Amino acid sequence: MSEQVELAIVGAGPGGLSAALVAAQAGVQVLLIDHYRQVGGQYFRQPLSSLPLTTAQRQGAALRQQVLEAGAKIYTDTVVWGIFQDRVLGLYSPKGITYVQAQVIILATGAYDRPIAFPGWTLPGVMTTGAVQTLLKEQRLVPGQRVLLTGTGPLQLVLAAELVRAGAKVVAVLEANRFLGRVFRYTDALWGQWGRLGEASRSWLTLQLQRVPYRMGWGIVSVEGARQVERATIAPLDAQGHPIAGREEKLECDTVALGYGFIPFNTLARLLGVQHVWRPELGGEVPIRDAHLQTTVPQVYAVGDCAGIGGARLAQLEGQVAGYATAIHLGYRPTTDLAALNKALEHERRFQKMYHALFTPPPGVYALSHDDTVICRCEEITQGEIRRAIASGAHTTNEVKLLTRAGMGNCQGRMCAHLIARWVAHETGRSLEQVGGLPPRPPLFPVPVADLGRKV
Amino acid sequence: MKPLRKMEAQVVVIGGGIVGCASAYYLARRGIKVILLEKDIISGQASGRNGGGVRQQCRDRRERPLAIASVKLWEHLSSELDVDIEYRQGGNIRLATNEERMEALRREGDEELEDGLNVEVWNRDELRRRAPYLGDVFIGAKYCATDGTANPILTTRALAWAAQRYGAHIYTHTPVHTIHVSDGRVVAVGAYDGSDEIWIETPWVINAAGPWAPSLSQTIGVPVPVEPSRSVIAITQRRAPLFREFISSHDLGVYARQARAGQVHVGGTNIPAHTFEQDVPAPVIEHLARGIAQMVPALKNANFLRVWAGTLEMTPDKIPILGPVDQVQGYLLATGFSGHGFCLGPIAGKLLSELIVDGEPSLSLHAFRLARFSSI
Repeated sequence: MSEQVELAIVGAGPGGLSAALVAAQAGVQVLLIDHYRQVGGQYFRQPLSSLPLTTAQRQGAALRQQVLEAGAKIYTDTVVWGIFQDRVLGLYSPKGITYVQAQVIILATGAYDRPIAFPGWTLPGVMTTGAVQTLLKEQRLVPGQRVLLTGTGPLQLVLAAELVRAGAKVVAVLEANRFLGRVFRYTDALWGQWGRLGEASRSWLTLQLQRVPYRMGWGIVSVEGARQVERATIAPLDAQGHPIAGREEKLECDTVALGYGFIPFNTLARLLGVQHVWRPELGGEVPIRDAHLQTTVPQVYAVGDCAGIGGARLAQLEGQVAGYATAIHLGYRPTTDLAALNKALEHERRFQKMYHALFTPPPGVYALSHDDTVICRCEEITQGEIRRAIASGAHTTNEVKLLTRAGMGNCQGRMCAHLIARWVAHETGRSLEQVGGLPPRPPLFPVPVADLGRKV
Repeated sequence: MKPLRKMEAQVVVIGGGIVGCASAYYLARRGIKVILLEKDIISGQASGRNGGGVRQQCRDRRERPLAIASVKLWEHLSSELDVDIEYRQGGNIRLATNEERMEALRREGDEELEDGLNVEVWNRDELRRRAPYLGDVFIGAKYCATDGTANPILTTRALAWAAQRYGAHIYTHTPVHTIHVSDGRVVAVGAYDGSDEIWIETPWVINAAGPWAPSLSQTIGVPVPVEPSRSVIAITQRRAPLFREFISSHDLGVYARQARAGQVHVGGTNIPAHTFEQDVPAPVIEHLARGIAQMVPALKNANFLRVWAGTLEMTPDKIPILGPVDQVQGYLLATGFSGHGFCLGPIAGKLLSELIVDGEPSLSLHAFRLARFSSI
């Protein structure tokens, strides 16, 4: 038998917590579900032990407290591995396999890092900025002694400063986009973003004091090392993001952090049959939503990064809108000031637009791999094998998977599907939208046979 | 008006599954000008989603000669098609958990030996000795050493590629909407490839559209008693080699094989559903997990990585409809394989090619005629 709830929220990051707070305060019976041991998502990620809290961690802890006081129930350490008919969620937790049937669902599943592939990218020591951030936030750990950051966006700057403060040596920060000349076109989008501007300038100052080189228009070419990263080859990039031949430099480092943006984690929505559109500036495929953030499947809402990359602040505002709308839908009377909320949302979306205009990775960064570079790490499928599958008639990302097993491994294609798609598009002359992604299949995360087979 | 492209062919094959691709392959090899039309992609449906079993034992007696002849073809397919289709004669174990099932397997085994298929009946001790990885719910089994497994997607694609090398033309994303019949004979096929209308003049049409065959057949007044049915497979994460046989138990309702890369494919043998739906309900996933945990206890600590469904095409007597029909000349049916199409695909294609080129197939198709249903 399934547990019954009025509102199930999947993902307890800024979006999910905010939605839960508004809905629960209006009287809705809310269940908030999160994969991790503690709520907060990546932005509010809490320390694993009793470390002093950062500002974001204090905000996250306070929000969690409010949500609990408003009467919401929280399941942590709980994976949503499938969605079935009539909005039944399949859960997997230390308790085993259970099911929850919800009248309304809000998806707030966030995003995952978008890695790029280049010779050496599978060596230990190559990480995503998200992974580096997790180590810092949860344990105040630095991943190595000499860290190279390569990618695009101000997050790199902030992370580099955090690494320096935590005692690591940052050998360089490589920014793929020469954005400085264009940033002044967006003064209206920046107006009022004092918190963000303050954080960026504090980070900048930290890096200047430590003489960390910040190289705009540069990127990674390859990484070498016997058993782990020992050095990186970097180069200035042309207008398309391709490294300029002959201008390469070598840097000694033991860690390379990749910050090439994020991909919306939309598999639950796609499993539900929600219609999506291709919006590369928002990170890829995003669900179609109405003004209340309801998707094309009635009673299913989507907020935050899983509906288009926009960051923590946007996710919080969207969460509040969806929390409000679902409360109304369920017959409650929330007191939220929707007009003020929508105004703030509009302001935040202007910033989101600027962000994507300045910091979308240029296409050249996806063309660094060679035919012998492994693209699908789980199944160990090389770029050459992928290209041969395309040459033999595979015209979609899914067909490449069928022929090579690329994307069929543990990560379900979260690492490689976007890389395969680029190759299919490149070799067939079709658009990324046409070549598509991989169809989501339950279980969305590996689930043990013994637990699935046990009658609860 | 949409642009019209006119073509000619000696045979038009409808459907890019294993039966259609094998038909195109054997025809093209005989020098026949063949065009294959597929509504979506090659091996996109049941031919790419099945358990990968290539089995002769436990067949309907009428189907057995076809399965035996097909395995003779399978044995040379990798080298003939010049693609490693991962075919391996690792054996097939059909398991029993009760004496009634065991007795049925013994009777079937006697019949199979009579028909020239070498099988062994194992008691409990023999089963423990030969397949120690199996759970202790089983009291015995029947084993066929020449049965085996292959990679479904690669096999079907390899047949298509080889057909193309022999001159066959394959159009994917090109659904057929019309079969034109004049004076009781097939004359042409109409299709649409997304931008152009396609008109192919042809004296022969092979309808190998699986569960979609009946709706097309209906348009020329040839009703086909075929029902869609959902079939489901789960795969585990990669495991070290554990077993090489294709194993199945009707009592537990599951079957399994381990792919060369190490994943174990777990399918359901009796999950009836008269539907084209391909979602996988939670109870079905749990059923597969319970079944495999009982069948191969070592897999209890394995993880399911994904599940998917395919659509089988079932006939009332669970054997295919294969060959000409009385109502329309030049119209051949190759559908209703009822879950046995993967193994039978090569021989079905070969026999149809013989029927068209030589006027008569090397094995009788009498038992598989459509008319068997009207005479009931």
